[in-house]
Amino acid sequence: MIIQKIFNVDDYYYDVFMAISESLTGFSVNELQSTGLAETYYTHILHQIESVTFTEFLNISKDILENSTTQNQLNNAISSDILANPATQDIANSIITLWYLGTWEGAYINDLSYKEGLVWNLMQAHPPGAKQPGFKSWGVKPVNSNS
Amino acid sequence: MNQKEKPQQKKDVIIVGTGIAGSLIAKLLTDHVFDTEKGKMIHRSEMNDSKTYKELSILMYEAGLEAGIELDSATSMTTYNDYIRKFYMEEAKVPNSPYPNLKQAPSPNVLDMEPIIPPFPDKKGYLVQFGPMPFASDAIRVGGGTTLHWLGTTPRMLPNDFRLKEKYGRAMDWPIDYETLKPYYEMAEFEIGVSGNVSAQEYPIQENMEEYYGKDYVFPMDEIPQSYMDQQIINGLAGTSVQLNFKNIPLTMVPSPQGRNSTPNIAYGKAKLIKANSSESGYKLSLNNIENEDYKALGAVWNPYMGERCEGNASCVPICPVQAKYNALKTLKKALYKVNKNENLQRNPHIQIQAQSVVYRLSVDQANQEKISKVHIRRYTSREKTDFVEEEIDTTNSVVILAANAFENPKILLNSKYTVIENGQKVEKTVANRSDQVGRNLMDHMVMLTWGLFPEPVYSYRGPGSTTNISSFRDGDFRSEFSAWISPLDNWGWSWPAFSPGSDLSEFLGQGLFGEELKEALTYRLSRQVLFHFEIEQLPNPNNRVTINDQYLDALGIPRPVINYELNEYEMRAMEQAKLASDQMFARLNIEDFTKYNATDNNTFVYNNVRYSYNGAGHIVGTHRMGDTPDDSVTNSYCKSWDHPNLYIVGAGNMTTLGTSNPTLTLSAFTIRSVESILKDLETILK
Repeated sequence: MIIQKIFNVDDYYYDVFMAISESLTGFSVNELQSTGLAETYYTHILHQIESVTFTEFLNISKDILENSTTQNQLNNAISSDILANPATQDIANSIITLWYLGTWEGAYINDLSYKEGLVWNLMQAHPPGAKQPGFKSWGVKPVNSNS
Repeated sequence: MNQKEKPQQKKDVIIVGTGIAGSLIAKLLTDHVFDTEKGKMIHRSEMNDSKTYKELSILMYEAGLEAGIELDSATSMTTYNDYIRKFYMEEAKVPNSPYPNLKQAPSPNVLDMEPIIPPFPDKKGYLVQFGPMPFASDAIRVGGGTTLHWLGTTPRMLPNDFRLKEKYGRAMDWPIDYETLKPYYEMAEFEIGVSGNVSAQEYPIQENMEEYYGKDYVFPMDEIPQSYMDQQIINGLAGTSVQLNFKNIPLTMVPSPQGRNSTPNIAYGKAKLIKANSSESGYKLSLNNIENEDYKALGAVWNPYMGERCEGNASCVPICPVQAKYNALKTLKKALYKVNKNENLQRNPHIQIQAQSVVYRLSVDQANQEKISKVHIRRYTSREKTDFVEEEIDTTNSVVILAANAFENPKILLNSKYTVIENGQKVEKTVANRSDQVGRNLMDHMVMLTWGLFPEPVYSYRGPGSTTNISSFRDGDFRSEFSAWISPLDNWGWSWPAFSPGSDLSEFLGQGLFGEELKEALTYRLSRQVLFHFEIEQLPNPNNRVTINDQYLDALGIPRPVINYELNEYEMRAMEQAKLASDQMFARLNIEDFTKYNATDNNTFVYNNVRYSYNGAGHIVGTHRMGDTPDDSVTNSYCKSWDHPNLYIVGAGNMTTLGTSNPTLTLSAFTIRSVESILKDLETILK
């Protein structure tokens, strides 16, 4: 699989982080970027866990991504090489939770991370108290197509 | 060190609390002035230049922070935005989560509640809970009171709710009937700004809707649209009925009236004002048209053009970001600001609110022991410190109105002792407590939740918390055997009982799902979640009560409310019947049931070998009930203390019984009515 070069961040591991986030969450790098929180999340994790541990996780991710030619292969590799190992599984689940809910170990990173939780897009709703859809919107089927 | 200050200057009226009861009274009183020539109270709109008038001087006390009651546009917006930002950042988005949690004026919080193992009380948080069940509802001590986080559902009570004893041989009848309260319901619906459709209301009562609401009556604003989810459920249930132990009950799905802005109803016509007219016997309030002004929705306190219409933030509990949902700050602002001759808003200099001031005791006059002579306050100086200034205000020639919530009012009263000499003996008494009912009859709606997956997506998590209720079980002969209930349909998925969507995510992560598979599983689960909700009436029970105990004091040395609370069989049986109804509705709708009640739930019991669990509804009522006689009630129907002619005790605590309505509209109605009696007392004082 291709690890896209993301030009505005001068850190190769950041590209790996985004590429593995795409596979873990099921949202494209573009969708993840559009939360406006990608760099914030990356830096947040760097401060939250030991950099050796995080780098190790990203190195495993990089190997998997580089050695998988199909989506199936990649998914199998994620299951066997990341999710089967408790240490990397924890990090992977935390990363998914971060993108889906905006929380790391139960705490929101900032206002925006609450509002940009991707779980709300999946259910075609919106985070309570933000991104309000307008009067009467709840009376009809959702009209947005974020997901 | 704690200091003592010299007594404040006398006021005509002292109001304790800025929630909906206190704010309504403040607004209605400041709308009236004393005409010294006629010796009568008159409405401001009837003033003319040639006469002399005396303005009422009013002082309100609020336990919450100063910022919470500063209602000029810039400050109120800043404070409110701080609430919203706090709400965003809190992981557990419970009702109190946006608001300051003060050590000097603590609030009960649902996060503090835990199962109780008697005889050991749960002392975590503010309430001291002796059980056997924890009381499950919270409230917030902040400017505007608990209306800041209420849902805003505003059904009226039903005629039989006021006469349970007469009709069903249960509990006690109210001292007023539905018919008496009807005009005040209209005033409350105006003040709150209720949206709804009168002709779509359907209840199991003998009265037809024309008798119940009055001919041609309409709500101020059009109905809030029912959710897409509601419509799917209505489609599946309309025209069907539920078989319970006693009989077959047809299902009626009713769009709920709500204190939430929609589009002003053209048929409602003009803007209104509530005006007192005097007669030989006293004062009568009535709702009058303002001929040159159309009815308009009132938006945010800081900008009336924001929140003129609900925009679907889906966060009514705990906070409406645009204040399209009514809160008492709107009414409070009308007390603090009056329109001057140039049609500009001007700060009313005759009313003051003193915040950070916790009223904790009343004292009675030594010479005239019927009279409340002082209100005692502890005013803390900053949010950080628990230092306080001890204050008192002379109320010998004032009307004192306790308008704190149904935990706080009895707490203050029970902390107010005085000694009288009876037959040469010293007897210790408690203010307003001749009946021994102060603090007793604590009630709530027990909320039994049932949840499941609808066969197709219903796209919940959108819109106001609830837009439809099943009214079928609100009244009927069964009330001689077990409680009535109302069943709101909830629009926010399983967020309440299961902490969705977070719990769904962690469940699927636990199964090793990721990527597309995870997305699909979540999409399936979250778009089909439905929640049914059974709000079960609790009857007054003298043993369900708030007391105080000098063992348990807060940071200012003021007694904390000590709670004893339990359910009786009447209520447990209703829960059994409600679950039967739920099972039948789920089966008819092909809802896959995910309801689970655990032995570790906070409020759980086993009845006829089946486990049931419930939550609180935030409907804290009954602790200073109104009644016909001083022997079995704390106040008369005007919320006036039987024991002390210059003391009114207002709020949800006055409710004799609870019925199946959310209590705010009803408490607003009888609180508005109490102003008639207050005006009469003020006339006597001012003459």
